[in-house]
Amino acid sequence: MRTVSTAETAATIHPWAIHAQALRVRAGRHLAVDGLDLSLGTGVHGLLGPNGAGKTTLIRALATVAKPAGGKLTLLGTPVDGRADLRPARRALGYLPQHFGFYPRFTVREFVAYMAWLKEMPKADVPAATQRAIDRVGLAAKADARLKTLSGGMLRRAGIAQAIVNDPQLLLLDEPTVGLDPEQRLDLRELLRDLGTDACVLVSTHLVEDVVAACTDVVLVNEGRLLWQGAPEALGAQGDAGHPGDSPAERGYSALLRRHRAEATR
Amino acid sequence: MSILGLELRRSAAAGAALLALAVGVAALYLIPGRWSEGWMPLVLTSKEYLILLWPLALAAGAWQGRREHRAKVGELFATTPRSRARRMLPVLVAMGATLGLAYLLVLVAGGVRIASTASYFPPDVVVIVLVGVLSLVAAAWLGLGLGRLLPALVTAPVLAVAGVLLVFFTAIMRPWWLGAVLSPVYGSSMWYPFQTIDSGVTGALAIWMGGLALAGVLLLVGGSPRARVAAVLPVLLGLGVATAIVPRDKAALLAPVDPVARELVCTDDAPKVCVTRVHANVLESVTPLAREGLAVLAKLPGAPTEVHEYARAIDEENPAVRDDVVVINVRIDDRGGLALPDVVVLEVVSGLGVGYTGDCPRDPAVERAAAYHLLGREPVSDLELYPEMIWEEPELNAEAVALWQDLQELPPAEALSRVAAVRAAILACQDSTGLLSR
Repeated sequence: MRTVSTAETAATIHPWAIHAQALRVRAGRHLAVDGLDLSLGTGVHGLLGPNGAGKTTLIRALATVAKPAGGKLTLLGTPVDGRADLRPARRALGYLPQHFGFYPRFTVREFVAYMAWLKEMPKADVPAATQRAIDRVGLAAKADARLKTLSGGMLRRAGIAQAIVNDPQLLLLDEPTVGLDPEQRLDLRELLRDLGTDACVLVSTHLVEDVVAACTDVVLVNEGRLLWQGAPEALGAQGDAGHPGDSPAERGYSALLRRHRAEATR
Repeated sequence: MSILGLELRRSAAAGAALLALAVGVAALYLIPGRWSEGWMPLVLTSKEYLILLWPLALAAGAWQGRREHRAKVGELFATTPRSRARRMLPVLVAMGATLGLAYLLVLVAGGVRIASTASYFPPDVVVIVLVGVLSLVAAAWLGLGLGRLLPALVTAPVLAVAGVLLVFFTAIMRPWWLGAVLSPVYGSSMWYPFQTIDSGVTGALAIWMGGLALAGVLLLVGGSPRARVAAVLPVLLGLGVATAIVPRDKAALLAPVDPVARELVCTDDAPKVCVTRVHANVLESVTPLAREGLAVLAKLPGAPTEVHEYARAIDEENPAVRDDVVVINVRIDDRGGLALPDVVVLEVVSGLGVGYTGDCPRDPAVERAAAYHLLGREPVSDLELYPEMIWEEPELNAEAVALWQDLQELPPAEALSRVAAVRAAILACQDSTGLLSR
């Protein structure tokens, strides 16, 4: 029987995994997130928005890399204000950056285990957690291959494996489907649904159908602000046959953006 | 899976250490004659090769220190709770331990060869080696810090070249005491096998290297510009303390003598033969040859009765000539045994047993003819006897042979009395020219 730490059995006292109020985050000198309000709990949340909408900057702020320039941000009950100790939140965080950096000489297993160590997992849990994370992304056959020998899709999955190795309560995936073939994308959707049952998963993507298929919730941002939030089915209801797109969700996506742009120019 | 084990396998540590080991052992075994005389010669020679190993460790550290930048993992790692210092600890340990171990193994590789012949093990050896290890650790850590500070592709090769220049020019710079603080190879050029390094010099180097190591750690671990500026502090502090304690007197800085190593070790029975303690292992080989030489000289009146090894330190006066003692050089070969045993008898007899002081007039042709007359064979040029000799006055031996032939034609008693007159003249500090051909 393994010892259970008090952190594991503590009641969840924060209502939202992510809670942002009037959040402002800079990307360079530009305010890429400008007055964003967002509350996300357990489930899989698809983050949609055109290029330059501030998706990556938002995810970087949620991953505690980019410091908020204003507003309030609370992650897993920890305020991100430059004063509070971020370590408890970071232990429960999983992050796949848009540009996933890795050590090419490490094997998949070594890199995932190294990340588990950086996330301060108990030493005894690391080997099993590493194997499980690699299994879940379907890289078991390549577990002991050097990262430099992997294809783009395999690297992306290795990146997801390191993100989930610590069973994060808050999982941030910035374009995880890049480089995956259709079959792997289906597997990833399956994995996301599974992860979303007891964690807050935020997935940034350009692929509307991935969001519809795998997410319980859609978050649409534009120009650094929350544009719309709702269920995937509700997204479809936003548009009609007159809007561009090959599916109801895509038509809803373009309808929301067009409506917003029309309001902005008025 | 241990993270230290992971870093040992996947960082530059193992490769750099293997390279350092290969370079160090190759340099040692290229010229084993430089260190076959004993433990201190081995230690000093290995320390001299830090001119290659120190820059190598510096460059390896810089290469490794650039890893996070090269792999662009900063974004991902910034989201993890483990602090940068804790993240870097296994890298620091892996790089420091493997390179330090490599230096020890270089010494072990040399030690294996001399273990059976080297008799004298001075305690200074341990301290000098440990500070050598510290120097390599410091180089690796400083490299790690600089590699992170300037994560460019050229950093490592530039540091390698700069390291060689720095180690070399600080070793020969003036004032000597500053070079003694700054250069990890200071004091390693060997003048005699009973040389050592002053413990004050070793201590000062240890403090300076400790300062560099700490600066490297601060550069590697510290994130803010203020932390980087703080890295200058241990460098200045180390330099200040080291220059304060380093000895300034020439005796401690220029080829200092280990008095115990230089002490003469003698045979118990007469005629007495003595060698320095570092050469004690060849006393048994030297003794019969030296006594053979004494027996040749014994034909002369008032002939010397002892043979001592020549053991003058670099800054000393020549010892006063004693007419009962012959002073000879003891040469050691590549394997630690007696080199050129054939010339030992000649060494004793040449100069008719009177050492050179530089103050008195000497006639080499007369002395050579006289010595070879006692030996009963025709004079030969020193060029044929000593491999390290590259030049001799061309007429010298012809002149000696002519004088020797004249001696051969004289009645033996007359010849011997002329040779005795030459020895008497040398001892009296008078010119011996013409004494053989009256």
